[in-house]
Amino acid sequence: MENTFGTTTPQPNQARISNVAFSGQAGEFFGIWIVNLLLSIVTLGIYSAWAKVRTNQYFYGHTSIENQSFRYLASPIQILKGRIIAVIIFALFFVLSAVSPIFAVVLALAFLIASPWLIVQSLKFNMRMTSYRNVRFAFNGDYAGAFKHFVLLPVLAVFTLYLAMPWVLKRIDQFVYGNISYGGKQFQANTETGNYYIAALVAIAAVICVGIAFSIISALVIGATAFGTQSSLDGVLGVTGFLIFVMYFLMLTLSGAIYQTMIRNHLFERTELPQIVQFKSEARVMPFLWLTITNLLAIICTLGLAYPWARIRKASYFAGVTTVAVYPQADSLVDQAQQSSSAFGEEAAGLFDIDVSLA
Amino acid sequence: MHASHRIAGQFQHAASSSLYAALATISANGRLSIVSAADNSSLCQAGVDDYRFGTVLPGLAVELQLRDGAVFVPDDRSFRWPQLSAKAKLAAWLESHKLAMLAAVFLSPLLLWWIIVYAMPMAAGAAVPLVPDSVKRQMGQQTFYSLQQTVLQPTELAAPQQATVQYHWQMALQQLPLQQSNYKLYLYKSDFFGANAFALPDGTVVVTDGLVKLLHDKPDALLAVLLHEIGHVEGQHSVRLVAQSLGAALVFGILFGDPEGIAELVLGSGSVLLQSAFSRDMEREADQFALQQLKALGKSPSAFADAMSALLSEHGDSDDTSASLLKYLSSHPDTRERIEQATQQHTD
Repeated sequence: MENTFGTTTPQPNQARISNVAFSGQAGEFFGIWIVNLLLSIVTLGIYSAWAKVRTNQYFYGHTSIENQSFRYLASPIQILKGRIIAVIIFALFFVLSAVSPIFAVVLALAFLIASPWLIVQSLKFNMRMTSYRNVRFAFNGDYAGAFKHFVLLPVLAVFTLYLAMPWVLKRIDQFVYGNISYGGKQFQANTETGNYYIAALVAIAAVICVGIAFSIISALVIGATAFGTQSSLDGVLGVTGFLIFVMYFLMLTLSGAIYQTMIRNHLFERTELPQIVQFKSEARVMPFLWLTITNLLAIICTLGLAYPWARIRKASYFAGVTTVAVYPQADSLVDQAQQSSSAFGEEAAGLFDIDVSLA
Repeated sequence: MHASHRIAGQFQHAASSSLYAALATISANGRLSIVSAADNSSLCQAGVDDYRFGTVLPGLAVELQLRDGAVFVPDDRSFRWPQLSAKAKLAAWLESHKLAMLAAVFLSPLLLWWIIVYAMPMAAGAAVPLVPDSVKRQMGQQTFYSLQQTVLQPTELAAPQQATVQYHWQMALQQLPLQQSNYKLYLYKSDFFGANAFALPDGTVVVTDGLVKLLHDKPDALLAVLLHEIGHVEGQHSVRLVAQSLGAALVFGILFGDPEGIAELVLGSGSVLLQSAFSRDMEREADQFALQQLKALGKSPSAFADAMSALLSEHGDSDDTSASLLKYLSSHPDTRERIEQATQQHTD
């Protein structure tokens, strides 16, 4: 994991290649998670804002490139404000839709109109609260762009029988990643539509293959026991019901793992901060699938106690498969816009400098 | 005493990615001075109000943040500034304390269970009387209207049969000390519901043709079903269910908000199970109400058992083993359990 930053003298304009390092430890994070959970319960959810900040600070602080870690800058009060607003909206939504189906439709429409604003607000907030080498990220997308990419295009894709969906997903990724900037420099996301279609097709093909294999096996099993007694057949049918549920979940995980790894690799390959940084992701389907399934099994078997271990493991895996090429320009970036504002979060925070989110 | 201590670390100016190896000193009066490690030139001077310490977290260095946006990070991750207050270190101390973790492992699920099983239904029960009648009327009317448009068809029962049902209904309403006043009984034919009955929060009770036919020779059993539905209205169960489900959704959303996808399945099924459990509790309450009122009307509680038995045979007998698993998903208690309850009351 350790990189060799500093031991060699790089040529001018020559990129330094290094791994993303993740140094978080399951045991350490377990303590943070379980104690924060208890404090959140005892304070009826209020402390959950502090818990979120501490958890993010832990993960950001343990993720580093060239020995320089990321930093999460949000203050708990900002998170708390966002949560209070989110709780009120959620409760209103819940109660009003219970009172009347007509309200529910009206609210759903209102939500459709408000959601691009919420998405942009959340991305802006989370990017601004992320810093690397004391330079902040930013998100520059606007409402119109978010409405187009998160509402209009997905709705239109329905009329193509979802055939256009991979293209829509590409456009969404380009909107999100192409609008991020670091130190005033814009990221460029040059993803290709073809890769999204390939990823979707491979994911669907894998699900179909596994589905056919499963049907053949279960048909054989049921056929074999058909010669047995009625009660054993009942047993087999009961087990089959459970197996179908497991299979359904496995297929969802499999297709998710295929799509996620392929798209992540492509996205990292094609996203760059010109002359400053380039990325490479070498995630592979089977290790990631194995990680996801074993994480879930561990969480179920320990009644949730393995959650911190699972989360650390996942972060560690993604860091391990990611390499970054850093150009010397990265060492002397100065963000003009950022310099003017006060660093003490709550003093700088405006009324809407919040992330309206329950999570 | 620590004043002369020079802490090795790295300094960065505001919004600048340039790194400086640096040494930081905090004097006895709290004045911070950071100098370059290479040539001892001054990088930063700050009074006690112009800098502050970052969050203390296990395994991470505690940074110094300056008001102008500059930052100093000690090289030693385990270094803790002597100037840090006990309060600033408290959370990290708890998070790395074995006993605190152990206590949290046991107390968290216990408290969560107590909140969901006791505190929330209690709070919901206390909040329900505050809900204005107009809201309940809205809830009832809107739901009734959408059901009428979709799954309810006009009754096909003969007029005398309808009259008999309405007669039993009126008898029950007149003789019972009920809190709500707007009770109305409607008969509808419904293939969707089959033999069934349901109550809406405004006092609207709907009985399907199927149920009337099923219990046509057991008028007391039909009365028991009507009383059960009145029990739902008297207990304001619809409103309470909304309040409790909202509470549970908020608790799970806030505490386990970002479950990283994988735990979502577990939590998702958890809230379904919870909702069913709330619903089952209310069914039991309505059953109890029906049994008590049957006695008050001078009828035998076994009438309720008759109704349940008839419904059980109508909807088909389910396998015992699968029923034992499915009962946690069901919105109603096990029918046999309900019959047992009724027959027990009868023999009491």
